[in-house]
Amino acid sequence: MERDLENANPTILSVSQLPSRSRKGTAVRHGPDAKCDSIVYPKHSWPYGSSSSSDEEDDDGEEPMDEQDIYDLISTISDPEHPHTLGQLSVVRLPDIHLSPSPAELTGPDSLVTVLVELTPTINHCSLATVIGLAVRCRLEQTLPPNYRVDVRMKVGSHAQDDQVNKQLGDKERVAAALENDTLQRMVDKMLETCV
Amino acid sequence: MSTPPPPEPASAASGAPAAKAEATITPLPPFQPDLYQRAWSSVPHPTLPLLATAHAKSVTVFSLATFSKHSALTGGHARSVRTTAWQPPRGGASNAESTRKRRLALVTGSFDATAGMWSYEEAGGDEPEGLEKEVRLDHDGDRGGGEDNDNKEWEFNLVLEGHENEVKGLAFSPGGQYLATCSRDKSVWIWEDVGAEEGDDEWETVAVLSEHDGDVKAVAWCPSDLPNARAKRRHYSADVLASASYDNTVRIWREDADGEWVCVSVLEGHEGTVWGLQWESKARADGRFPRLMTFSADGTIRVWTLREEEEEEKEPEEEGSANPFRSGFGGIPSTMRRSLREEWDCTAVLPKVHTRDVYSVSWSADTGLVASTGSDGVIAVYAEDDTSPGTNSGAEDGTSGPKSNWRLLATVSNAHGPYEINHITWCKRFDPGAERKGKEEMLVTTGDDGVVRPWQVRISSS
Repeated sequence: MERDLENANPTILSVSQLPSRSRKGTAVRHGPDAKCDSIVYPKHSWPYGSSSSSDEEDDDGEEPMDEQDIYDLISTISDPEHPHTLGQLSVVRLPDIHLSPSPAELTGPDSLVTVLVELTPTINHCSLATVIGLAVRCRLEQTLPPNYRVDVRMKVGSHAQDDQVNKQLGDKERVAAALENDTLQRMVDKMLETCV
Repeated sequence: MSTPPPPEPASAASGAPAAKAEATITPLPPFQPDLYQRAWSSVPHPTLPLLATAHAKSVTVFSLATFSKHSALTGGHARSVRTTAWQPPRGGASNAESTRKRRLALVTGSFDATAGMWSYEEAGGDEPEGLEKEVRLDHDGDRGGGEDNDNKEWEFNLVLEGHENEVKGLAFSPGGQYLATCSRDKSVWIWEDVGAEEGDDEWETVAVLSEHDGDVKAVAWCPSDLPNARAKRRHYSADVLASASYDNTVRIWREDADGEWVCVSVLEGHEGTVWGLQWESKARADGRFPRLMTFSADGTIRVWTLREEEEEEKEPEEEGSANPFRSGFGGIPSTMRRSLREEWDCTAVLPKVHTRDVYSVSWSADTGLVASTGSDGVIAVYAEDDTSPGTNSGAEDGTSGPKSNWRLLATVSNAHGPYEINHITWCKRFDPGAERKGKEEMLVTTGDDGVVRPWQVRISSS
């Protein structure tokens, strides 16, 4: 383990500089624009008889998401080496979050949505890029409905080992195994402590 | 290298000419209980109506007669069980007699870097009908009994240690003599059953193959019971192993005359992790060597064909220092080696259906039909056009023979609702709804939702 910080002087944005919708601080919308959601997006129900109960975690995830919602979910993740969030360090940036297709255009609750998050590590050789990516993927998979497919990548040119890191983060089996590694799991848990 | 055929529309046979076969895929009631957590794979027993599903740190065995839980393997692994394989009956896979011994044996590969060998002895022991009967009685209610009290009947007998990290795949050779395991440590290990005669669980490492540059995701042995699989290649033993890797390649391994396992071919073409492979298990009309099907994170499924030499007696060519495969020869001087190299050509790319990783493909030994699934939650079934007149051009000149054409017969979207599907397999039907019990095939899919779902597949000629 290196005791020196990888990047001793990162640029830090203050909380008021971060992109936000209304500073309500939660990802779930209850405003007037969400009141029709239950009509537009029928509750997820299993179409094949006997296993009638849909998963519990589905139930609160039916509102259409947008990029700001995704940003709100992951910008509050703590950096593993600085006492700041990924949003403050601009590792996570709103313009680098892409939803396709837009959840508002979904034809049904099972239609897939791809969330692409491109991360910008604070410096070129950040060895913690993989851990940060893992935490982001983990956070999104835990909070988003199961029809979301999460792709986490390093922004082109931002990281020396883009391909390796991207491939690792895209490998479901490796991610699953990594999260069974106690050391990694502890790091990720700690990073996610600051998420609401 | 072939060029991919144009993609076909992802609906049932809509792009196919009339009078071709069509398939309908309809859901059957899912296996009970729901596992409520990601399940990785479900492997049917080669002869008995049992299915082993790996999930979390355990394996649930389901009855194919009742679609309900038969037994469970728990407590053997410190981390998730990723994969399982049923041990072929000792004394030959085709020897049905050996099921009379009423011993089930399963091997588990885990993220804890080990493989575990388990056995299940029939509790009563005196009934002459054997396990198959017992399984059915169990669920006709004659024996009462809940679902959970049969845990103790599976015993964890032996742990195979050696891999440095997660074991991701394993497979028994057709005769059961060898077990291959593969891992994130980039290696394939071959273990030999040295306790078979005494009936002990004793396995010895006979080879460690470390030529892949990344995780080895899966291993598969070529079926040797086919007439065409008997290697004409006299320099090797009959067993042929293939491995698929995170390094985007597939490697073919054979045991040479000196008992060394060597890489005889590297199959390059996929543009992402190769998640796995399936050997052709249905005998080919043209008597050629079984083909290999591979599937990848690049969303494609490829078919590879061995370029067969027309004259096996021909002296091997000297390949000298230009041989790109010399790294496969280990420390042994290349002059001591004979013609080791095999040429495998990509002879087909299946119609593109999947939009994300293809996690699993199953190639039916009975019908030759192929089923695939993956991250996009789609099930697809394909058939090979068996009569393609005029495509025999390659067959005469020692190349890989005709290129094959594959057609999409049917797809099912959201087969596990919004969830990813990790595994698909053809599987014999034993349930009361089967028209030809023990012969008719269905599909079984295993998903992130923890549901193991059987599907009826009907093929009709329109």
